[in-house]
Amino acid sequence: MTQSSGSQSSGNTPARLADDTSQGKTSIAASVVQKIAGIAAREISGVHSMGGGVSRAFGAIRERIPGGGTGASNIAGVQVEVGEKQAAVDLDLVVEYGASIVDLARAVRRNVISAVERMTGLEVIEVNIAVNDIHLPNEDRGGDEQPVPVAPARVE
Amino acid sequence: MPAAGTPSAEESLAERVAAVVTAHPAVARLHGGAFGAVATYLPGRRLIGVRVGASGEPVELGVVVRLGYPLPPVVRTLRREVSALCGGVPVDITVADLDVPAEAIGAPAGPARPAQQSTSVPASSP
Repeated sequence: MTQSSGSQSSGNTPARLADDTSQGKTSIAASVVQKIAGIAAREISGVHSMGGGVSRAFGAIRERIPGGGTGASNIAGVQVEVGEKQAAVDLDLVVEYGASIVDLARAVRRNVISAVERMTGLEVIEVNIAVNDIHLPNEDRGGDEQPVPVAPARVE
Repeated sequence: MPAAGTPSAEESLAERVAAVVTAHPAVARLHGGAFGAVATYLPGRRLIGVRVGASGEPVELGVVVRLGYPLPPVVRTLRREVSALCGGVPVDITVADLDVPAEAIGAPAGPARPAQQSTSVPASSP
């Protein structure tokens, strides 16, 4: 999926899965839309990673819980709401320093909408983007933050 | 296919449906749906991902699709093929998950694994 050049009219109605109701229902799980949205967001140059703020902490914790990472929400930074015909996406991004955040958000939104609509046939009614952090070029040694040392509990 | 006595018509239909569905290049595997209920009880095993009801009831399918296949045509094709196998009944399809290699999604942002985060970020100047 290349970044779009020229018009990305989402007046182009995607194939409606719900039109087939007489032939049967089609349900798309949230994890499907989540993965597609996550991949589409990451494709945009200038997006460093997904997650940040609260969801970043949850993601790190969830990895350490056996079985905790297998649900739909193991895609950090992407939350979706999926209905029969529509979907809404919330993204948490960490951007690269130097990217114009406004342009970046616009490009991410456009790519996510086009990817989800093309790949699932659902109409994307909104894409909310939260830029939680910015990655500076000299931060790559050992992770973005100093891990906060956890003090041992004082009481049993 | 295991020859376990004489399977009932409904059971062998479920197996034929499973064969048709998994033969589609976009389908990675069958899936039991949100609660694992999409399944057929066969002698000695449970066929997950296909549920053939009584005649006239919709057939239920649960699938995991490979990355890169737009869903509407895949769903249309599966529905058409399965419905033809089952005598024209409606086919309810649940796309339960997408088969994505872990590198495409990337690790979550955070202190965990800096080495894996660079796969999808181009090494160009901003």
